[in-house]
Amino acid sequence: MDERAFSRVAETYAGRLYAVAYRLLRNRADAEDAVQRALMKAFAARASYSPRWAVSTWLYRVLSNVCIDELRRRRPPPEPAPGHGGRAADGVERADLARALDAVPREARLLLALHYVDGLSYLELARVRGISVNTVKSQLARGKAILRRALEN
Amino acid sequence: MDLDLMLREFFTAAVPPRDALARLRRGLGARPRRLEPLADRFRIEASDRGVTRLQPGRGVGAPSHRARRHAERAREELREYLAGRRTFFAVPVDLDGLPEFQAAVLAHAARVPFGEVVSYATLAQRIGHPRAARAVGNALARNPVPVIVPCHRVVREDGSWGHYAFGHAMKTLLLTLERATPVLVGSTTTRIVCRRGCPHEQRVADSNRVVFASVPDARSVGYRPCRVCRPARVA
Repeated sequence: MDERAFSRVAETYAGRLYAVAYRLLRNRADAEDAVQRALMKAFAARASYSPRWAVSTWLYRVLSNVCIDELRRRRPPPEPAPGHGGRAADGVERADLARALDAVPREARLLLALHYVDGLSYLELARVRGISVNTVKSQLARGKAILRRALEN
Repeated sequence: MDLDLMLREFFTAAVPPRDALARLRRGLGARPRRLEPLADRFRIEASDRGVTRLQPGRGVGAPSHRARRHAERAREELREYLAGRRTFFAVPVDLDGLPEFQAAVLAHAARVPFGEVVSYATLAQRIGHPRAARAVGNALARNPVPVIVPCHRVVREDGSWGHYAFGHAMKTLLLTLERATPVLVGSTTTRIVCRRGCPHEQRVADSNRVVFASVPDARSVGYRPCRVCRPARVA
């Protein structure tokens, strides 16, 4: 992949990569930093990109690696950033969901984010994380069960 | 309320601010500074039991064949560390003859995990002398093997760097490097998770690497810890 092709790809995916990073890291500066680092890593490794991969799978793999390492450094999880809830009416619900997501283990949270931001299929998710499709399914189901319980309370 | 619908709405709503995308576009041209060449700008001394000194300069100081092997191994690990390919030093250090207090400070500093920082005061508490933060600072300032014993991971309580033998800029470079280097790497082909720098991890192709936040996380999706580097000890 040459430099120009890479910047086109980066432009196409920057928004979605940001959405995943923002929902995982929960603040704008960290999300931007994560996307920046992921794109730089992908750029440096663009020679090793193999076309048997979908570009999205590859970029999400690199981004997941950066975000997960960032989450490793964060214990305990930070307080939710105030004032990002959007309009007041759905703000409460969104804040609830953001809080409920904190209760979901990191691996499941990452799969949920990838699945819902860009609609990645089970197979794509399995490729991004290097896990089996069955593990993807059980992780997503477990994550959603935890969310449901947290939202009911 | 349908959870699927809620989640879809929640996740797609994270739209990046327009200036963020512009900044990302500009940042694409940036090239990270390569630290690897710095490995040759240290003089490394060793005894039969391990590395005894690391200081600015060149070459090695080793009285025997065995000592030379330690020094050469330290250089190689240093090079990998600076290239972001290693998160721990396996080469032994020989701190024999240091005063008891300084030895205790260095032993505890060596346990601060890669990529994390503690304050001088916290380190003082850990060695059982809670009021000796300043003495801890002095002991670290005379660390004979900086980088390998990571005194750069000890900072002031307010988050500022404090003194560093190789200078403020170097402390920043090392901490930034550690921030960008993952600690636990899994291989998608073997489903084994290693510490970054383990000989097995170094053989994993770039396209087969996945990063994990902890060993339990990795286990939860079907990876097992490596038996050589035993990552459960650190994360």
